[in-house]
Amino acid sequence: MVNLPQEPAQGQAGPDMRQAYLFGIFVARRLVALVITVMIGVYLTIVVANMGGQVDELRLIQIRADVAEEVRGDPGISPAERQAFIDQRVALEIDRLNLDQPFIWRSFDYLRRAMLLDLGRAEQMHSDHGSRQVNRIIVERLPATLLLFGTANLLVFFVSILAALALSRRYGSAIDRAVVALAPTSAAPGWFYGIFLILIFAFVIPIAPPGGMVAVPPPEDPLSYALSVLRHMALPVLAIFISSIFVSIYSWRTFFLIHSSEDYVEMARAKGLPERMIERRYILRPTLPPIITSFLLMLIGLWSGAIILEQVFNWPGLGTLLFQAIGHRDTPVIIGGVVIFAYLLALTVFLLDFLYALLDPRVRINPGGVGR
Amino acid sequence: MKLRAVLSGRGRTAAVAAGIALLLACAAYASPPGDGGPDFDIGDRRGGLVDEIVFATEGDVAKMSGLIADGTYQLSAQGITDQTVFQRIRESEAVDYDLSFGSSVELTLNPVGPEVGTGDLNPFHVPAMREALNWLVDRRYIAEEIFGGLARPRFLPIGTAVPDFARLAAQAREIEVRYQPDRARALAVIDEEMTALGAERRGGTWHYQGRPVTLRVLIRSDDIRRQVGDYVANLLEEAGFRTERLYRGAEESSRIWIASDPAAGQWHVYTGSWVSILVQRDVADNFSFYYTPRGRADPLWQAYDPDPEFDAIAERLSRGEFADLAEREDMMARALTLSMEDSARVWLVDQSQIVPRAANVQVAADLAGGVRGSQIWPLTLRFRDGVGGRMSVATPSVLTEPWNPIAGTNWLFDRMVLRAINDLPLLPDPYTGLYRPQRVKEAQLTVREGTPVSATLDWLTVDVVDEIEVPGNTWIAWDEDARRFLTVDESGQAGLTARTRSTIRYEDGFFRRSWHDGSPVTPADVVIAWALTFARAEPESPLFDASHAPSFEVFARHFRGWRILSTDPLEVEVYSDQISPDGESVVAQRAPGVLPWHVLALAILAEEERELAFSSAKADRINAEWLSLVAGPSLPVLDRMLERARADGFLPFPELLGTYTEAAEIAERYDNIAAWRAERRHFQIGDGPYYLHSVHPVEGALVLRHFADFPDPADRWLGFADPAIPELDLEGPLIVEQGQSARFTIHATFQSAPYASEDIDLARYLLFDGDGALVREGDATSRGGGVWEVDLSAADVEALGMGPNSLEVVFTSRHVAMPVFASQPFATVPEGAAVLH
Repeated sequence: MVNLPQEPAQGQAGPDMRQAYLFGIFVARRLVALVITVMIGVYLTIVVANMGGQVDELRLIQIRADVAEEVRGDPGISPAERQAFIDQRVALEIDRLNLDQPFIWRSFDYLRRAMLLDLGRAEQMHSDHGSRQVNRIIVERLPATLLLFGTANLLVFFVSILAALALSRRYGSAIDRAVVALAPTSAAPGWFYGIFLILIFAFVIPIAPPGGMVAVPPPEDPLSYALSVLRHMALPVLAIFISSIFVSIYSWRTFFLIHSSEDYVEMARAKGLPERMIERRYILRPTLPPIITSFLLMLIGLWSGAIILEQVFNWPGLGTLLFQAIGHRDTPVIIGGVVIFAYLLALTVFLLDFLYALLDPRVRINPGGVGR
Repeated sequence: MKLRAVLSGRGRTAAVAAGIALLLACAAYASPPGDGGPDFDIGDRRGGLVDEIVFATEGDVAKMSGLIADGTYQLSAQGITDQTVFQRIRESEAVDYDLSFGSSVELTLNPVGPEVGTGDLNPFHVPAMREALNWLVDRRYIAEEIFGGLARPRFLPIGTAVPDFARLAAQAREIEVRYQPDRARALAVIDEEMTALGAERRGGTWHYQGRPVTLRVLIRSDDIRRQVGDYVANLLEEAGFRTERLYRGAEESSRIWIASDPAAGQWHVYTGSWVSILVQRDVADNFSFYYTPRGRADPLWQAYDPDPEFDAIAERLSRGEFADLAEREDMMARALTLSMEDSARVWLVDQSQIVPRAANVQVAADLAGGVRGSQIWPLTLRFRDGVGGRMSVATPSVLTEPWNPIAGTNWLFDRMVLRAINDLPLLPDPYTGLYRPQRVKEAQLTVREGTPVSATLDWLTVDVVDEIEVPGNTWIAWDEDARRFLTVDESGQAGLTARTRSTIRYEDGFFRRSWHDGSPVTPADVVIAWALTFARAEPESPLFDASHAPSFEVFARHFRGWRILSTDPLEVEVYSDQISPDGESVVAQRAPGVLPWHVLALAILAEEERELAFSSAKADRINAEWLSLVAGPSLPVLDRMLERARADGFLPFPELLGTYTEAAEIAERYDNIAAWRAERRHFQIGDGPYYLHSVHPVEGALVLRHFADFPDPADRWLGFADPAIPELDLEGPLIVEQGQSARFTIHATFQSAPYASEDIDLARYLLFDGDGALVREGDATSRGGGVWEVDLSAADVEALGMGPNSLEVVFTSRHVAMPVFASQPFATVPEGAAVLH
């Protein structure tokens, strides 16, 4: 067993080496397990996104239909000439998309490149700037998504933690009962509230824009631009906040209530320790691992954006992008989005193993995994 | 279109749109739209009528009424078919709309049979069964109830808003009357044909070989065709068939109706739809395309087996094999009748699209393609109450694909914006599709004897000769080594002849114009586009593009050379074997435009270095970026090429362009584009009425500004801002006694003013008796002031017999391709009977 962290003691080279060896084995095992998990997840995505290869058939139909319609516009071509022209154009497109290769081979090639984070070129889509590189397509939308969902989710996270802590001290109070009563409102998604917010604050009392990320045309002065973005963020952030805050407070408040009734907390209270100290040392500290886990998962959850909310607010984020990629059946873009998410998730899980050991003295790392 | 397809494919999103529509319906307030802009004397102004046009992404059409009403936008580039939104637009005083008619809905029928692979009966193998559906369906019900008025009944394989329909309006109306809903007749035909096929009716249901006859109705589930499919399936059930309703989205349905062999019997009826984004001047090919195996190579088309007479006429029409336009019209009329008897497709409606705009905004929207398909929208867009100001246009997408003038974006909404940036030699009339001169002064089209081509407008003259020989100094081929054209003589083609010769004379000031960056427009800008067309098809060229080769091959089969006769004024001759019934279209297809050679020079260098490529296909092939002049990774590459071109004084195709380019001009042009790039941060320049001021790709916005140096007065195209569709008011007696004559009066108006008689192309009346049989037809007589009369003689009245009748009138205008109809029912009674009543 390895206890982390520990200062290396002088004259203990043998045990240190062994600890390092065991640590190395632990890390290697975790990495291999995570890479295999990522690989399975990505390959499943490739198979699902291509409907097990059936998408090839759909693409061929679409290519042939598109070319046939384009060629209809050319006047004075005989049917035979037109057919030859169509066949040539279709063959070029098949060649471009490698549709002449069996899907199974292409799927392994997709997987190999995905695992190496070589996201390659999109098949149909372009970045807003006009690039076909998948990494550019994704990175271009990332700031908008991070800005909107990062702001909203951080706000929800910290407000709900603080509010939950406060409520756990006022169990049964009017405000506590109100939060419990309002928790079911989170059953409705953010876009649902978004529609009402747009109606009220963009049309009935027009104090906020109905959508978009910035004014049209975008201000050229950076400060005005930033203020315009903030103004456009107001309604979507509010929509996300309303849809998440009550259930979040409710669940954290319940979580803290459970921990507040632990024996060691009761003991601290019996000892007459101040409430703030009890909260900090006896409630918050032992509950830090699940809070951190929740926080990190929330952060990587930003990666996926939110499809409908982005469409309701016309927000140029990753959710819309991935939705469009699915519509286009643009496999490289879909895989690009998924593989980055998978790697981020794997990295988070990997980091959490160590964070648990750092945050909770009861947690030990051994080559077989994390244990108590 | 991409985004719309994505949106329409998801029920949740549709629910969101519906939710927004419903909620916004509650927000019934409306403030005056936009800033009307300052008053400005149009006479002093050149080019566009507003100062700034902002395009911004807005994919949710449900919001559009509210966004226009509150002044966020003044125009929507996207057409709307949603009935709820349409209703709100109609109710809003701040929002108005234009209509376009470019899409249609039909029933595609499986022609294989009588038995299909499953052993089931396919009654639609029999043409008479297919024809009977025309009497079974009620197109007016579909248009008014299912489409909520956003559609017009359609019976024929040519749209109701194309010039060919207007030319054939009388014959078309006769056919329409013949195929009015008649359930009894439909059921009688079905009874007769099903019995002949060996089926029998038991308990109200048709049985074949002991099993109920089940028809598989493939219904598109992602749009209004769901209701259409259900309506048709209900009718078929009432006619004694069992139905299996297959609700499928676009992709799934295409796998069934296009990709599968119809002989397998996976479907019997499919709810099809077709879209056109421009007014098609020549739809003679429609019969071949929709009803014969020549249409497409897919299994469904290969299963078509049209009547030999229909097949022969369809093929001759598609090949243009007719002596003159009168013969073409006769063939078209016959083909229309035969297409109804074939009815491999049963046409249902032409769907209308709403193009919403602020009530104080005027713009010429194309009759088929709406504002997004209009070529002259930039020249007509304005505030009704003033000139100047900023106009915001909502569009589902901007910068969908990279912009470059050789093989750049082909997306509707990108091309819409580009039409404001670029100018063309000829522009199509948005209401007739007929080309009108923009930079061209006049043209002469010489055709070989027996070539059925005519001219409508006075800028073009057509003459006929026995033979057209292509002169020896005409450019016809490409020499990649010298990077110049080869003449007919040099390429060993002396004595070459052509079917047509277009001699096009451009306006006098054609080369006294400038590009948006201040560079002069010169003959080199004319030549470079042609040079690239040839060089990109030459396998030895570093610019060779395999994806360009097939289309060049088609072009080369008909191209017979071109030459510049003079440069001041510019006069060119183009020889070709390709024809179209409209001489204006022939010239428009061949008239060279201009492209800024100094911008293309940078792109040529980049493609030769394999860092960028003009086309998407080549970019993928060489693993480079697709050239974009406006944004993205192309720009730093172009910057480097600009430095190189400036340092080297690079002139592309020097042997060719050097003839028209001074050394000083090369440096001046590169200086101009460098300054432009520094100020605007892109390389997109043009010669149109607006220039691209700024680009905001991620924000989904771009800004155009008025180009003050545009040569034309700002009001040049304003006469085309509204479609002058005549409105008819037909008055006449409701009862006519035998032995008496009758007079019917038609008032033709437009915007409450009399429609000029000389602008009416056709004013025809059709007289039908109570059985729907055509008894008489003739021309109405103009009495001036928009008044027309139809006089029925006593003999005409006698020919009708006793009972109910109807008089139908068909008017077509020179200004709009869509014919208008009016009808008046009346009764013929015995002499003296009217007095008794």
